[in-house]
Amino acid sequence: MLTIVVRSIIIYIIVLLVFRLMGKRQIGQMQPFELVLTLIIADLATIPMAEVSVPVLHGIIPLLTLSVLHFILTLLTKTSTTFSKVVSGKPVIIINPKGLDQNAMKQLNLTIDDILSALRGCGYFSISQVQYAIMETNGKVSVLPKAEYSPATNGGLKIEEEESFIPITLVSEGKLMKENVALANMDMEKVLKIIKQQGGDKLKQVLILTVDKAGQSYIQFMKGEGKSFECEVKS
Amino acid sequence: MKVFHYVNFVFIFLFIIAICVLEDVAVNNSLNQVKRDCYEIEQVLATSENINSMEMSLLVDNLEYNWTNNESTLCYMVNHKSIQEIGTEISKMKSYVGNNDIDALKVSISSIKYYADNYLHFMGANVHNIL
Repeated sequence: MLTIVVRSIIIYIIVLLVFRLMGKRQIGQMQPFELVLTLIIADLATIPMAEVSVPVLHGIIPLLTLSVLHFILTLLTKTSTTFSKVVSGKPVIIINPKGLDQNAMKQLNLTIDDILSALRGCGYFSISQVQYAIMETNGKVSVLPKAEYSPATNGGLKIEEEESFIPITLVSEGKLMKENVALANMDMEKVLKIIKQQGGDKLKQVLILTVDKAGQSYIQFMKGEGKSFECEVKS
Repeated sequence: MKVFHYVNFVFIFLFIIAICVLEDVAVNNSLNQVKRDCYEIEQVLATSENINSMEMSLLVDNLEYNWTNNESTLCYMVNHKSIQEIGTEISKMKSYVGNNDIDALKVSISSIKYYADNYLHFMGANVHNIL
């Protein structure tokens, strides 16, 4: 049993390493060759984990070989558009201003239900709302709605709004995020001062404290409700 | 960071090549060693009628020692269930030497040579194995 435990740890680390080297794409964003690779890796990893007579190297070498192959494929798809089209395909317009493109549907083996389902996923419940729909190489559908169904934007409504900032987490579950504190041009004393101003006493009492560059802040203590407030931030 | 990424893959690629070469060398050396040891036993077998001798025992012990060492190295690279027949055959040989059973010993040596050739075939890099 100990052998299996140790083997599992080794294979897990190798698989983790291979996925880290592959990049941070998520399942839905995978290109076809990446999906194939993921399926093979999952299968390869289990064999040497459970089968003690199979050397661990029989699991590691194929995993590493696939990671090198993936690296080469990625490099080639980046450098050659033709190669990229061969391996990943190219985006296909499935709905245009004239309506559904039946040739594209045949080419992609898509049914009307598939397209309607994908459109609903994008927030459009009728084909009449859609100007263009494009099937991307990773299988997702991108939709450009008709002008009357486009969501209103500040730019479109000519409303002037101040730029918003990303809130920086200064304290999370009682722990000071030192890098974030420096990013917000603050120090420990300033953070403690804010906590005291909001009725707290110690860092450990704070569940979350965030602040953005405009000074908009949010604090929630371990026992209590969250509240927004403003504080002074050096830019 | 990008350079580090490239270095990682070059390192992995070299590691794979190194493992492949090491495996090939280890497999060839181990199995050729077995065949050499068997050949030595065969030579003694051809000249003497009594195999229950010190010389024969030493040769079989030598074969066993070499194979045990090589087998443990091979087990890092191949499924060790697939290479256990030689070990079994060697342990049989020891009893044949003790019982002065020349015919059985000859059969065992032939079997070991056959297994060694077979292992060389299925462990080696060749078109049959790839396909």
